[in-house]
Amino acid sequence: MAGMRFLLMPIRSNKQGQQLNVGKDGDDYIAIVNTMTMHPEDMKELGVVNGATIRVRTEVGDATFQCKEANVPRGLLFVPYGPPTCQLMGGETDGTGMPTSKGWDVEVEVV
Amino acid sequence: MSCTLGEVKNRADFIIYWGGNPAECHPRHFTRYTLTPKGKFIPRGRKDRTMVLVDIRETMSAKAADIFLQVRPGKDFEMLSILRALVKGQRVSPEGVAETGLKLEQLQDLVNRMKAAKFGVLFFGMGLSMTRGKHMNSAAALTLAAELNAFTKFVAMPMRGHGNVTGADVIMRYTTSFPFGIHMGRGYPRFNPGEYSTIDLLVRGDNDATLVLGADPGATMPKPAIEHLKRTPTIVLDPKVTHTSRLSRVHITTAATGITAPGTVYRMDEIPLPLSPPLKSPYPTDEEVMRRIREAVQRKEPWYPVKSDAPQMV
Repeated sequence: MAGMRFLLMPIRSNKQGQQLNVGKDGDDYIAIVNTMTMHPEDMKELGVVNGATIRVRTEVGDATFQCKEANVPRGLLFVPYGPPTCQLMGGETDGTGMPTSKGWDVEVEVV
Repeated sequence: MSCTLGEVKNRADFIIYWGGNPAECHPRHFTRYTLTPKGKFIPRGRKDRTMVLVDIRETMSAKAADIFLQVRPGKDFEMLSILRALVKGQRVSPEGVAETGLKLEQLQDLVNRMKAAKFGVLFFGMGLSMTRGKHMNSAAALTLAAELNAFTKFVAMPMRGHGNVTGADVIMRYTTSFPFGIHMGRGYPRFNPGEYSTIDLLVRGDNDATLVLGADPGATMPKPAIEHLKRTPTIVLDPKVTHTSRLSRVHITTAATGITAPGTVYRMDEIPLPLSPPLKSPYPTDEEVMRRIREAVQRKEPWYPVKSDAPQMV
């Protein structure tokens, strides 16, 4: 079955910034960069509950994340930048030197 | 068209954050410079300032804002263009306004407030500059701020992140005239983002070795760039073992600037701040390692024939 389409917005968070300085091997940092927030109605439609594992796929690659309900707009996903989001990011910079770091069109499926 | 954060603190009565979440990502911004401090011409602090947040979602920063405008994802350029038209008193199409997810009254109110401000500041973050439209979005934001100077004083400033990225830009600018994406292969600097910028070089596989200084591209860059770092010799200088260290051939542990090594950090408004290390480190500083690598390279004979009258690197 084909997964649902979303727009993924990698973000930064305060806790992520704190944990960067503690170390990227720490459990807290790994949990933060692997937790994706989603609108509750989108979670229902996808058929997932808090803490469920989802696979997110772009043209470049795929990665798995833990799903968490949050007050975010429908159709959008948010996750702090980290090694998992690198797996999804394409290298095209459109001549600017910077890759498109937000607004990726992704396909999400329940694992 | 920018200013220092000191000027923002002392003068700014109208502040816009666009595509940024300072409450989480620049947690001292509100309290030190932009919202709560009392300034020379802002005697009542927060009461004398209006803050507008433009973002695609209601972040923690929205709680601190007087006005929150939720723009549709990827419609920043359209919204900026409409604001520019309204600033000039031009008509805008209702369809164009509807596309942004906002109402014309909201946009007109923002324009009226921007024009009525004594000193306005537009801070823009990655939500504007690194989403679809990229440099075009930034250019539109800068143009809007510039055009508002026909009515009042208005400045724009990017919300730079991470330790001292501004410093890297400033130093590269005053040594080569360019901030990034600089090719020194001919002995003089050439600038071309998209061609000489790091990610483009790595993704195309143009370089055959990489020296990483104070960064962790293995945990931040796109997958194709990381793959190239793995394939080719990568050398990392960092106080900690990072994701990049693990895919590199050489990791050199260095002292942490500001903690165990002296240095200068540039604030996001390009004010240089000297750092005095409170602790000592058994490790060399980045500067010392770089100097020693440079001396070792200079001792080697070049692999290509050099004419005696060729321009020399200084």
